[in-house]
Amino acid sequence: MSDFGTRVGLLKPRWAGANLTGRQSGLRQRLFKARYIYLLLLPGLVYYLFFHYLPMYGILMAFKNFNANLGIWGSHWAGLTHFEYIFSDPSFQRAFRNTLFISMGRILFELPFPILLALLINELREGRSRRILQTLFTFPHFLSWVIIGSIMLNLFGDQGIVNMMLSSLGLGKIRIFSSSDLFRPFLFFSNIWKESGWSSIIYLAAIASIDVEQYESAAIDGITRRQKMWYITLPNILPTVVILFILAVGNAMNAGFDQVFNLYNGAVLDMGDIIDTYIYRITFQGPTDFSFSTAVGLFKSLINFALLIAADFASRRLSGKGLFH
Amino acid sequence: MGRPIRRKRLETSLIIIIIVLAAWGLIILFPFYNALLLSLTPREVYVRNPFLLLPKAISLDSYRALLNNSGILIGFKTTSLILLSGVPLNMFLTASMGFCLSRNSFPGKRLVFFLVIATMFFNGGIIPLYITVKNLGLMDSLFSVILVTAANTFYLILTKNYFESIPPSMEESASIDGANDIVIFTRIYLPLAKPILATILLFYAVDRWNEWYHSMLFLQRLDLVPLQVILRNIVNATSQTVVEVDTGRRLFADGIKMAAVVVTMLPVMVIYPSLQRYFMKGIMLGAVKA
Repeated sequence: MSDFGTRVGLLKPRWAGANLTGRQSGLRQRLFKARYIYLLLLPGLVYYLFFHYLPMYGILMAFKNFNANLGIWGSHWAGLTHFEYIFSDPSFQRAFRNTLFISMGRILFELPFPILLALLINELREGRSRRILQTLFTFPHFLSWVIIGSIMLNLFGDQGIVNMMLSSLGLGKIRIFSSSDLFRPFLFFSNIWKESGWSSIIYLAAIASIDVEQYESAAIDGITRRQKMWYITLPNILPTVVILFILAVGNAMNAGFDQVFNLYNGAVLDMGDIIDTYIYRITFQGPTDFSFSTAVGLFKSLINFALLIAADFASRRLSGKGLFH
Repeated sequence: MGRPIRRKRLETSLIIIIIVLAAWGLIILFPFYNALLLSLTPREVYVRNPFLLLPKAISLDSYRALLNNSGILIGFKTTSLILLSGVPLNMFLTASMGFCLSRNSFPGKRLVFFLVIATMFFNGGIIPLYITVKNLGLMDSLFSVILVTAANTFYLILTKNYFESIPPSMEESASIDGANDIVIFTRIYLPLAKPILATILLFYAVDRWNEWYHSMLFLQRLDLVPLQVILRNIVNATSQTVVEVDTGRRLFADGIKMAAVVVTMLPVMVIYPSLQRYFMKGIMLGAVKA
C-alpha cells in the first residue's frame, strides 16, 4: 500500500503539468517566458533596424530622380533609367573591370602568402623569438590604411627613400603612384605586407590541430622538413584554405576601399579605380546626383549578394557549414 | 644505437627558415623605421642629404610644430571621446545580443538571427545611410559616428558561439532557484565569457581608434575631427616647406607628416605587444568554435 502514491504518480492525468490557462496559451506562454530575452534583445535590434534596415528605404532613390526639396517620397519616378546609364558609363565599366581584376589578383597573390608564412613560423619552436616575430608580423594589421598609406606614400613616392636608393645605384626610378602600371602590383604587395601576419594565424591554428601521429609515423621512415610540409601539413589545412578561398570569391566586389582610397590619386585611376572609390567620387567629389550613386551602389550590392549566396552555398556543400553560421 | 645523423640536414633548412623569417621581419620594420627617422630629423640635415638611412642628428622640431600648429590635439580629444563612449556601447550590444541568440529557441529567434546575418550579405550603400543619418538629425553630431558602428556582426557571431559553448549545467542551479534570463546573463554567463569579451573589447577599441570614413562623411564641424582624419589632412597637404609660427624657423613638411603618423600610431604600438596574445587567442577561439 505504501507505494500506491508512486504508482498513482505514474498514472498522472495527461493534463497535469500542462498549463491550464487557456488554449492560445502555447504561444503566449512562450512569449511570456522569454520576456527578459526580448528586453535584452531590444537595444541591439533597435540598432540593426535603424542603421541597417531603415536605410534600405533609401534604395528607392535608385528608381527615382531624387530631388532634395521633394524628398524621397515626392521625387519623380525614373524606372530603370539610372541603371541603363550605368552600363554605358565608361568610368563605371573601368571601375568594374578593375574591381574584378584586383580581386582576382588578391586571391592569386595574397592568399598563398599567409599559408607560406604559417608553414615557416610553425617550424620555429615555441619561445620568445617566435613570439617576437609574430608580434612584429601581426602588428600592421591593427593600423589603419590612413597610417599605412601615409607611410607607403612617403616611402615609395617619387621622392621617397626607395627611389633614392635606386637612383644612387644607377637604376631608374619606379613610379608607383604617378603612373598606372605598378599601382596594382603595389596594392597586392602592400596588402601582403600589412595583412599576411594576421592571416597566418588562422592557418597556424589549423596546423596546430593536426594530430601529431601523422608526423611521428612519417618521421620513423625518415622524412625531410620539406616533405613534411608538402605531404602532411598542407593537405591537412586544405579545408581551411578552401573556406578562405570561397570567402575571398564571395567578397570579390569589395576590392579593398580603405587601401585604394588612401593610396590612389588621379594618375592611377586607370588601373586602380574600383567600384567603391568610383561611387565615393561621383557622390562626394562631383556634381551630386544621389539617385545615380544609389543606383550604382545598389547594383554593386546585388552582385555582392549573389556572390555571397553562391559562396555560402559552395561552403555548405563542401563542409556542411555556411559562411557565417 | 644513437640517433641517425639527420640533425645536420635539419639545421640547414632551419637556418634558411630563420633567415627568411628574419628578412620578412626587417621588411615589416623598415617602413616604420623610415617614418620615425624622418620625424626626428631636422630640416637642415634633410635638405642637405635627403637620402637618409641612419640618423645624423635628432631633433624634436617636427613634433613641436605638430603639437603647436595642427589639430592633432583636437584629433586626440575627438577619438578619445568616440572610443570612451563607443566601446562600452559596442560591448553592451554585442554581449546582450550574443547571449540572447545563444539561448534555446524562443519565438522569433530564427527571424532575429536571419535579420542580423542578412546585414552581412546586403546593405543599402552610402547614400541611403547618409540620408538616414541626416533624417535622424545626427549630422555633425558625434552620435552619428558612435551609433552607425554600434555593433559588428562578425564579433557578435563570435560571442554567440562562445556563449553556446558554455555548458547548460552552469545555469541549472540558478534557473531552478527561479533566476530570470537577465540574472543568468549578468551573474553567470558574463563572468564565464571573460576571454571572448576581452578579445572583442580590444577589437572594438582598435576599430574605434582607426575610424575615419564615417567621420569624414558625417562630421563637418572643425572641433570634432577624429585623429585619423586629422592625419589624413596633414599628410595630404602639399606644401613642401612650413614656417614655424613663433620662431620663424623653416621646417619640412615630410618631417611633420611622419611625426603625425608616429604620434597616431604610438598608442597602438605601445599597447599591442603586451596584449597581442589576447588578440590571437580570441581569433583562435572564434575560429575553432565557428
